[in-house]
Amino acid sequence: MTAGPRRVGLTPGEIVRQAVLVLFGLLALFPLYFSLVNSFKDRVQYAENLLNIPSTLHPENYAVAWAQIQGPLLNSVIVTVTSVLATLVLASLSAYAFALMDFPGRHLLFGITFALLLVPEFLTLIPLYVQIRNLTLPSNYLAIILPTIAAGQPFAILVLRAAFEAIPKDMLEAARLDGAGHLQLLRRIVLPISLPILISVAIIRLIPVWNEYLLPSLVLDEAHRTLPVALVNFQGGGAATAVTPNYGALMASYVLSAVPLLVLFAFLMRYYIQGVTSGGVKG
Amino acid sequence: MTALPGFRPSPSPRWGTLARLRRGWPAYLFLLPTLLLVGYFSYYPAYIAVTRAFTDWDGLNVPNFTGVENFQRAVSDPVMGQATLNMAIWVVLGLILALVPPLLISELIFHLRGQRRQYAYRTLFVIPIVIPSLVLLLVWGSFYRSDGLLNNLLASVGLSGLRHDWLSDPGTALYSLIFLGFPYVDAFNFLLLYAGLQAIPQDVFDAAKIDGATGWRRVLRIDLPLLRPQLGLIAVLAIIGNVQYFISPLVLTSGGPGFATTVPALLMYFTATRDGEYGYAMAIAVLLMILVVALTGLSRWLSRGSR
Repeated sequence: MTAGPRRVGLTPGEIVRQAVLVLFGLLALFPLYFSLVNSFKDRVQYAENLLNIPSTLHPENYAVAWAQIQGPLLNSVIVTVTSVLATLVLASLSAYAFALMDFPGRHLLFGITFALLLVPEFLTLIPLYVQIRNLTLPSNYLAIILPTIAAGQPFAILVLRAAFEAIPKDMLEAARLDGAGHLQLLRRIVLPISLPILISVAIIRLIPVWNEYLLPSLVLDEAHRTLPVALVNFQGGGAATAVTPNYGALMASYVLSAVPLLVLFAFLMRYYIQGVTSGGVKG
Repeated sequence: MTALPGFRPSPSPRWGTLARLRRGWPAYLFLLPTLLLVGYFSYYPAYIAVTRAFTDWDGLNVPNFTGVENFQRAVSDPVMGQATLNMAIWVVLGLILALVPPLLISELIFHLRGQRRQYAYRTLFVIPIVIPSLVLLLVWGSFYRSDGLLNNLLASVGLSGLRHDWLSDPGTALYSLIFLGFPYVDAFNFLLLYAGLQAIPQDVFDAAKIDGATGWRRVLRIDLPLLRPQLGLIAVLAIIGNVQYFISPLVLTSGGPGFATTVPALLMYFTATRDGEYGYAMAIAVLLMILVVALTGLSRWLSRGSR
């Protein structure tokens, strides 16, 4: 049915609903506000008041924070971008095979890939750590990139296969008659048509990769460690420790580490929302 | 017509299995990188975990088979008992936190008048995912400190008596970790429920209106039953996630004070990385996996049984 122009009025109920939503929304964003205002304070200002915007700013906190996290920030970008792109490339190849090619063992192999969604992460964490420790890799980055690509395959293949299957067969067969090979079909037709879905999968997958802490903390050496690992190290032990850290610089590092995702989501937010709500990830 | 080899709608029963295998080579080539990676980095470690659970593996040397010794040790270990209790509390409260705030928010937004307004608020509740999860953890860790925000707020409203170091007190440490991020509205869960509400046909709402089901009664009688698949999925994911979650106790409390915030998954991690008892750690991991599989099966059975 076509909903007529709904009345955009402000009834009392509407005002209450919006007030509750604004309150919850601000609470969810509060950690960001807290980090931002306190990143400009020195120790004394921090001890005096945790919530105000400081009268004299201390931007030098950002210099201290930047010196600490610029390396890890770059590492995180390298690891995340490489992992997500490689996940998409490999998953596209596999999803194409599962969706559009006929070969013996298709169902069995798809089942094998799909079943991985049921293998919990903590089960493989320690063996993976031992395995990678004993492996001689050309670059330490690969110690986290390769397992991350593998971990992303089931979800990406599942979503892409459904998308590829929905492409009209006529279009593919016409190109096929013109003499295009599978690789050409994939590159010239299937991938361009599926671009919005590829972006959705990339951005949904990007969040957990960017936030990943456990395996990187185990397998990456100091020069290659990623942002979450560096933040924990920078902070110097848990909140239960007695040492008072340099909060200003700490908060500045938190703000800096939110910037890349903030920039990304400024452009790609709708792909994330579409991806999650499109039904591609419904169980 | 044979101009379209390899396309699925045109299977060729004339060929023998061997010929079909040979014709299928491009497909196998396409799948090869994925299969190699998941084989080596997902299936092989899982195989190692399950088989080494029956050994005295130390992570370096050749393991000796010890039968079910590790499992007997795990079920009789009092620390494991405390950890399991902590996990049970975490799973139950975590389930409520995963379901209630996102449901409340998606209902409120869905009932707003006007597409633009709904879109704006939907965006507002997705924005917090730009905060890296470790940052959220560490900022909240600072809230809980004795000189932190929580105690400051309590003092400013005249409740100084309640001030304490939330993560160092065995009585509050576990709950502090569970409620970390409160009232965190998980963007994924929220979007899932919101999409579910949008998928309900307008006729159903119109019929409900005629029957006099509005407001809370509509939510209870129409929305909740029709959101069952989404709620079920969120519940399963929350349970699985919380059974294996141990990052906040690892980073903020190391499982302490005492064993107040130790959960089995954290125990598994420490047993391997700190004590070097990899075989025992894998036994704990296998027990947890059995629990995850059982709970997943149970919830699927529950949601199917009442349909």
